[in-house]
Amino acid sequence: MKNNLKNIFKKEIREMFRDKKSLSMMLIIPLMIPLLVLGMSALFEMQLNKPIEQYNKIGFAYELSEVEQNILKEMNIDYQIKTLEELEESYKRNEINLYVKKINNTYELHGNDKESTTFAKNLIDSYFNVYKEYLQQEYLNKNNINPTDILQIINVENKIVEEETYFANYITNYAFLFIVMAITVSATYPATDSTAGEKERGTLETLLTFPIRSKDIILGKFLSVSLSSIITGFISLILTIISLILAGKMFKIYEGIDLMLPPTSLLFASIVILCYSFLISGLCISIASRQKSFKEAQSALTPLTFISFFPGMIAFMINLETTPVLSCVPFLNFTLLFTDITNNNANILNIILMLISTFIVITLVLTIIIKQYKSENVLFKS
Amino acid sequence: MLKIQNVKKRFIRVNEKKQKEEFWADKDISFEAKDGTIIGILGPNGAGKTTLLRMIAGILEPTNGSIEFDGLNFKENEIEIKKNLAYLSGNTKIYQTLTTYELLKMCCDFYGVENHLAKKRIEQIATNLEMNSFLYNKIGKLSTGQMQRVNIARCLVHDPKYYILDEATSGLDIISSQIILDFIKKEKERGKTILYSTHYMEEAENICDEVIMIHKGNIIKKGTPESILKDTKTSNLRDAFFKLIEGEQNEK
Repeated sequence: MKNNLKNIFKKEIREMFRDKKSLSMMLIIPLMIPLLVLGMSALFEMQLNKPIEQYNKIGFAYELSEVEQNILKEMNIDYQIKTLEELEESYKRNEINLYVKKINNTYELHGNDKESTTFAKNLIDSYFNVYKEYLQQEYLNKNNINPTDILQIINVENKIVEEETYFANYITNYAFLFIVMAITVSATYPATDSTAGEKERGTLETLLTFPIRSKDIILGKFLSVSLSSIITGFISLILTIISLILAGKMFKIYEGIDLMLPPTSLLFASIVILCYSFLISGLCISIASRQKSFKEAQSALTPLTFISFFPGMIAFMINLETTPVLSCVPFLNFTLLFTDITNNNANILNIILMLISTFIVITLVLTIIIKQYKSENVLFKS
Repeated sequence: MLKIQNVKKRFIRVNEKKQKEEFWADKDISFEAKDGTIIGILGPNGAGKTTLLRMIAGILEPTNGSIEFDGLNFKENEIEIKKNLAYLSGNTKIYQTLTTYELLKMCCDFYGVENHLAKKRIEQIATNLEMNSFLYNKIGKLSTGQMQRVNIARCLVHDPKYYILDEATSGLDIISSQIILDFIKKEKERGKTILYSTHYMEEAENICDEVIMIHKGNIIKKGTPESILKDTKTSNLRDAFFKLIEGEQNEK
């Protein structure tokens, strides 16, 4: 009888591993991660390494000087000089990617929001910078002023992380955020099935006639759901690392980036996965066990799926940094710490604070639900 | 001995106008069940039998009154009482994904039956209830009759002192019903106390030592089947029940 927690855990695990839906939630969801990593990498690489021939056809509705034509040739711009009407027609027929009109000293760029026009606009911006610099130098030379004294009056050195690294970090962070989401999905189904599902199937009444304490029932179910989430979490972590290493070999956007996490980062990532799995399982069990049916439980758990994902996304968008206070905020702390781990700057204090706050939340949630888990409340309260 | 004293059960339900209203499923129930007896709880659907038996099985909590098993009550000794109880209703559902053996072993584990004893006991029960042919089959694939036999076996694994059987033969064919009735008789012979609710009056007349007739949450008559027939001057419990209801309505 003392082992009834173990017996409930054993019963739940057996049911879970025999249920195809629970198994597929546990094992198939992580398979989305390689698709996400490789798909996003391919997409970003395509954007960054778009062949210039796809966006270098630019029309000019004015005569170009020899200098201008030389710069255009040097920049590999396929230029055409036509009337404005002809250029408008050419643009409509997709023969050119952008066209330029000149009114006195003002150059107007024409086109719409086509992707090739955006790329062509960046190209023509570079062209005008070069041409402007040429005109400035010529003017200064005419006035016997050394152009270097004026044009390079200050030096600016670019130490900003290159765009390629930015995209690689973006993908890595999203892959880790997807681990959080996979764990949530993996916890939701077994939690619903073992509480509201068991109630709906009528077996909960039978279970409640056995000499088992509510504490053992809830903790047994909680541990089995946690195990499912932990399995998903670790499969997701392994697949994330494998797919990042693969992507690193396949795509240039990862050039110069070490995608292999050092052992300490892997340890921290494992701690975050364990904590998040326990937290989400506790919350899912406490919410689903109050519902009358499987369907009701699924509806009740839907907001939790969003709550698990959105704080992390918002943190990315506003570039939120981990602080000791934020390390104590459930959901947000896991994503922030994952970002720190992937950037190899995780702080042990923040990890400890996250551990403590997660432990407190889980204890609170489970204590409340154990106190309320009397057979009458669970089976008949509506 | 099982002692039920002034047990009442109130539910709050929402009516058609979406207003909360009180509903007393059981109004004032008192009786005793001596060891080794079969007590029949009789009454039509909605009389309050299931609520009463659920309170006795510890699934529901009485609003008032007390339920004692050998001087122990649920508030203080829930686990101790449940160790000696078996509850079986016509609606009892069991785990479809398990095999019969796995279910019985799981029940043994829940009741703390030692492993070496559990195996022997399961084999013995399977032989007695003629379950050997489907002992290792998934419960979800069994017929209704086989499933009810598994349910009986589930109640037997810990050799309880008290059986609470709520409409256990409801919806079963004649052979499956007979298996349950034979099981009740055998357990009585072994000195077990059985509370048995049914709306089949003839069934109760044949096997019960004492009968408690319930109508609209009240006990309208209790005693041995013979004494009830004698008091109501009827030849069977069905007629007796109708006569008692008539009398109650006339009094009102």
